[in-house]
Amino acid sequence: MERIKILAEINDIFTDTLDNDDVIINEDTTANDVEEWDSLTHIQLVVAIEKKFKVRFTSSEIQSWANVGEMITCIQNKAV
Amino acid sequence: MIFKIGETFEEFFVISDEIYSGFIATFNDRNPLHTNQQFALANGFKDVVMHGNILNGFISYFIGEKLITKDVIIHSQEIQFKNPVFLNDTVVFNAEVNGVYESVNAIEFKFIFKNKLEKVIAKGKFQIGLLK
Repeated sequence: MERIKILAEINDIFTDTLDNDDVIINEDTTANDVEEWDSLTHIQLVVAIEKKFKVRFTSSEIQSWANVGEMITCIQNKAV
Repeated sequence: MIFKIGETFEEFFVISDEIYSGFIATFNDRNPLHTNQQFALANGFKDVVMHGNILNGFISYFIGEKLITKDVIIHSQEIQFKNPVFLNDTVVFNAEVNGVYESVNAIEFKFIFKNKLEKVIAKGKFQIGLLK
C-alpha cells in the first residue's frame, strides 16, 4: 500500500479517535504536535491502527517511532 | 500475555432490591419507568424496568474483581440494550476475549447479557489495559 494512502487512513483514525475533525497529520507529525495525543489516546490509536491494517506491532516497535512517518514504514513492512 | 483470543468467562448476577435501591440512592435516577409500576405498565412493560446501567456495574465488578489479574484499567466500554430486565431477574453474563494488543497491553472483550429465558438483554464490548 502506498504511503499516501496509509497516511490518509491513519488521518481518519486520528480524527475519529481524537474526536477532532480538524486534525491533519503528516509524516513529520509527533505526539507533541497534536494536543489530544496523550498516553491513553495513544493506546486507542495503536489498537485502531492494528485493527485497520490487520497488523500487530511490538512494544519496542512502537517505542522506536519518532513520528508518523516511521509508523507508516512499520505498517508498510507488515501489511500484506 | 495472560489473555488469549477466544478465552471465555461466565458470571451470574441477580438484580436484587439492594442493588436497585442502591443505584437509585446513589444516582437519583427516579424516572417513572424505573419507579412507577403504573407508568411502566402503561408503556408496555410488565413491571418497572431496571436501570440499564446496573449492567454496567456488573461489568465493572467483572473487570475489577473476577479477572486473573487486578492490574487492570478500563479504556472503553460500549453497550447496547436489547430487552428490559426486572427486579430479581437473574442475568447471565458471558464475555470473550476478542482482541489482544500486546504492543500496548490492551485486551478487547465482547460480552452479552441474557436472562433465564436465553433472551439477549444487552451486548457490547469493552477494552481494558494491563497496568503491569
